[in-house]
Amino acid sequence: MPTTIEVEIKRQNGPDGTGAVENFSIPYRPNMNITSLLGEIALNPVTKEGKATTPITYDSNCLEEICGSCAMLINGKARMACSALVDKMLEEGGGKIKLAPLSKFPVVRDLAVDRAVLFENLKKVKAWVPIDGTYDLGAGPKQAPQIQEERYPLSNCISCTICMEVCPQFNDVTNFVGAATIGQAKLFNMDPSGSVLKEERLRALSGDGGVQECGFAQNCVQACPKGLPLTEAISDIGRDVFVQKVKDFFRA
Amino acid sequence: MATTASAPPATPQLKGVQPLRAGEGNSFLWRRLHSLTGIVPIGAFLIEHIVSNFEVVNGPLAYAQQVKFLNGLPLVRVLEWGLIFIPLLYHALYGVFIAVRGRTNVNVYPWAGNWMYLSQRVTGLIAFAYILYHVLTQRFMGVSLPEHPGLAYAKVQFELLSHWYAIPVYVIAMIATCWHFAYGIWLFAAKWGITPGNVARRRFGWVCTIGGAVLCIMGLVSIFTVAYSRPYSPEDVMPAQYDNVVAPTVPPQQ
Repeated sequence: MPTTIEVEIKRQNGPDGTGAVENFSIPYRPNMNITSLLGEIALNPVTKEGKATTPITYDSNCLEEICGSCAMLINGKARMACSALVDKMLEEGGGKIKLAPLSKFPVVRDLAVDRAVLFENLKKVKAWVPIDGTYDLGAGPKQAPQIQEERYPLSNCISCTICMEVCPQFNDVTNFVGAATIGQAKLFNMDPSGSVLKEERLRALSGDGGVQECGFAQNCVQACPKGLPLTEAISDIGRDVFVQKVKDFFRA
Repeated sequence: MATTASAPPATPQLKGVQPLRAGEGNSFLWRRLHSLTGIVPIGAFLIEHIVSNFEVVNGPLAYAQQVKFLNGLPLVRVLEWGLIFIPLLYHALYGVFIAVRGRTNVNVYPWAGNWMYLSQRVTGLIAFAYILYHVLTQRFMGVSLPEHPGLAYAKVQFELLSHWYAIPVYVIAMIATCWHFAYGIWLFAAKWGITPGNVARRRFGWVCTIGGAVLCIMGLVSIFTVAYSRPYSPEDVMPAQYDNVVAPTVPPQQ
């Protein structure tokens, strides 16, 4: 049983700051997760060398893998801090835990990153059901249980961006949209009310950085903390976008 | 003093990876064309090429007849450029473009699909380098086989035996090309929405594995047959045939 938890954290003062590594030695308690570990550091922000420092900045909210805000690199891999257990991470890291911000998003400070690109992408594909009007539009159409069952897993997306972080195609050269957005496009295309925007979503996803940039490495589906059927969504959307492009070509 | 507040931009300026350019650009077309050319015509040609080469197991004359038959196809030069060289060059160059834009991360995420992603790029680059060498030496250099199909067997055998590195290069390239083709078909089915489900993809994976393995084994058998099954002989097994048959003259009309 270890008496301390050794933590190495990559820190950065602000968006334009330079990175620096700080080491912490935290008294061991069983059954901690990474967010509670970061809380322990905040209680006594002193490095292992005894130097006083600032508490670690990180995003977190729900602490139960629902809000999707605490994704970070834990022992080099993208994971949710809330569901990453210290005991497991210590074992994996050989008695040491390494924390770093997600590598493909601009750092705000320390472990907090700006994930705005995902929300911009969701806007680009209109990942919503258009029910706003100047008058009451009434009840929507009924949704068959079979459709509900297929849609439910996709509705579990928590916008954590882990699927994008682990994707070899998601980078600043391809500007690939990422699996999460494609999954949400399928979710709303299957909604009886949301399907009114289906063609617009498919046309949007045929743009530069769209579904075609997927290299089918399938990391997204491996890493997704919520187990979304992302490769299935990419496959379905890939077919739908192709069919849409063919239709548009002959209708034009 | 009243100032007019300007509306915030619809898309804020972001650092790092940029948002989707919804509906803009033609990269979907180019990428799908790359995917399609890998199946037809290039994949179809690869099958034809390996099956035709397998004729070497029936000896130099059978092989020569196969070469003669292919070169006797109507509009053969148009077929060669339109269905082989031009699509192949596009597939290769666009493939290099795809490969350099990826940021492979198997060191961090050593998962099967991720390794296959890397393997598709590595085997593609190996195949491209080999095919450049192969087409240059076997099609455009040395004795011209369209005019002298009878020397096909001897030309390939000479190629394989005259350099110590030739057989290792051909074996590596054969494996890489068949791998790239087999996984390429699997990727095509996955990306075009033919096999969206996990079970369908796994089943089709077996089909591609077996198909690729059969092609690869046929190719390897052909390589070793040409190289070692008979002594090298620089003789034209099917010299140009001058026929002495004269068509009967039409009898003069009365």
